[in-house]
Amino acid sequence: MLSHSEASENFIADAERTDWHDETLWFVRAKRDKASKVLPEWEAMREHASQIKDHTLANLGEYLQAFESKAIANGIHVHWAADAAEHNAIVHGIIAAQGSKTIVKSKSMLTEECHLNDYLASKGIEVVDTDLGERIVQFRNEAPSHIVLPAIHLKKEDVGETFHQHLGTPKGNKDPQFLTEAARQHLRGHFLASEVAITGVNFAVAETGEFVVCTNEGNADMGAHLAKVHIACTGIEKIIPKRADLAVFLRLLARSATGQLITTYSSHFHKPREGQEMHIVLLDNGRTRQLADPKYKNSLKCIRCAACFNTCPVYRRSGGHSYHQPVAGPIGSILAPNIDKKANADLPFASTLCGSCSNVCPVKINIHEQLWFWRQDLMEAGLAPAGKTIGMKLMAFTLANPVIYRVGGSLLRRFSHLLNTRLNPWYKQREMPVAPKESFQEWYKKR
Amino acid sequence: MSARDQILRKIEPLEPVNHPGDFKGASIDFDFRASLEVVGARIMTKEELEIVFPGRRRYDKTLDGLSLAEVEVLEIDGEFVVAENGAIWLTEEAMPHRVAPFICQHLVINVKKIVPNMHAAYEELKKPNSSFGLFLAGPSKTADIEQSLVIGAHGARSLTVVIHP
Repeated sequence: MLSHSEASENFIADAERTDWHDETLWFVRAKRDKASKVLPEWEAMREHASQIKDHTLANLGEYLQAFESKAIANGIHVHWAADAAEHNAIVHGIIAAQGSKTIVKSKSMLTEECHLNDYLASKGIEVVDTDLGERIVQFRNEAPSHIVLPAIHLKKEDVGETFHQHLGTPKGNKDPQFLTEAARQHLRGHFLASEVAITGVNFAVAETGEFVVCTNEGNADMGAHLAKVHIACTGIEKIIPKRADLAVFLRLLARSATGQLITTYSSHFHKPREGQEMHIVLLDNGRTRQLADPKYKNSLKCIRCAACFNTCPVYRRSGGHSYHQPVAGPIGSILAPNIDKKANADLPFASTLCGSCSNVCPVKINIHEQLWFWRQDLMEAGLAPAGKTIGMKLMAFTLANPVIYRVGGSLLRRFSHLLNTRLNPWYKQREMPVAPKESFQEWYKKR
Repeated sequence: MSARDQILRKIEPLEPVNHPGDFKGASIDFDFRASLEVVGARIMTKEELEIVFPGRRRYDKTLDGLSLAEVEVLEIDGEFVVAENGAIWLTEEAMPHRVAPFICQHLVINVKKIVPNMHAAYEELKKPNSSFGLFLAGPSKTADIEQSLVIGAHGARSLTVVIHP
């Protein structure tokens, strides 16, 4: 697997596309700014939402049990899964009981985290992703590159070609309206035929035992309402205490994500439809470990709006696939090392630590600080790249020894051209500055 | 040990943090017409509706779930519209089937009441008043292909709102 910096090199090889990606996501960020600035209470709402999440995490066990008992009373089957394998086995068990071979699924990053599609495929069950962006990347055998805009790495020409191959649309047709209509017709057939539908969950309300699913396309609802069995998959951190808390979260979510006033559909599933079977799977998969660590527990407040992706100078210029994780961007970079430190040791370094992510986060997660905490933990655990470790040690040694610092400085000033080598990662795509003739100390002594 | 007990055992209560209570200080000065327009809905009078959609299907109990896929224009009643974002609260009881507002090609919603913002909306919805309810804001949309906005992804291709004074 390529590290973030290696994969980014491939991504930026196409300069024009990189610029398009960068500008498009910045445009989404600008829409978020516009939507938030018309509300004088915006900052107070962020603080309020943050406090609700803090309160919930402090009492998560209680709220989970309250949710469970209410949901059961509502006629919803509640399942608990300690890890991805258990989650997948539960979902498979429910589908197998129906005997279904093809099912529909709306967007759920949690099922990506568990690699549910691959698992079900190995059991002979085909999953049809119904979000347009997800269907596009599924046809292409790719992962989503953004949690809200899954196909943002593609141009309409790419989508046209993909649909030509998989849906038989005319070659060369790249009109978004036409291609969306083709997907609508194609997926409508699946919605009408599917007996099982999987959705994600945006919020699960402890007070009422209901869960809320937000989409713009209506694909989650089309699937869930037409299927005999609805399976909703959620992380245990998606719980909120009260129904009224939804007000502040729904006001923040879409405005932060795309600058919309609200998602087109915010559906409140309280009880199954008459004759329908409704399941909810509550997944841990490392979340309790994250919760127990005061440095990282805040990351569990995330409502998956992706505002931190859109604002991140590194994400915008490196693309989601470079993060090799279902949740990319700054938030993904602090979530992934918790699940697998070694495999994701590169991600906390994929940041300039500029702090823009923390500034736009609707629930005030200290993302950039956690990136920095992870860097320290990874260095300590010996998981940082060798070059970085040696470099840091050399730097620490030099800074701790005034004589070596002065001698080294004077040598580097004289032979600074030696840094213009491929061995120096900072030299790539950059001109090294010309070193001054004298050091500050030398200059100061002369005065 | 079951996964449930395993998970609950791992969750230690953290230092207590109070719930901040209801949000105070939300703006109330919103123009519901402007918001409806932003989310892509059309506002019509009853008279205009008769001219544009004379053959629309009004919800009645004879209309069952799957036959809805054949319905071109469906008319249902919403409970209220939220002025800040143009979202209309719909409940299962007011529709022939939960899938109704999604599966018909064009949707017409009658609304009698307007509330200023989402906080006021949940003030109305303190307790769930339905097995299924939703906020619906405009027609189905997507921008998944190069961020170009396309109306009519999977759900209704258009939304017409009739405000009854």
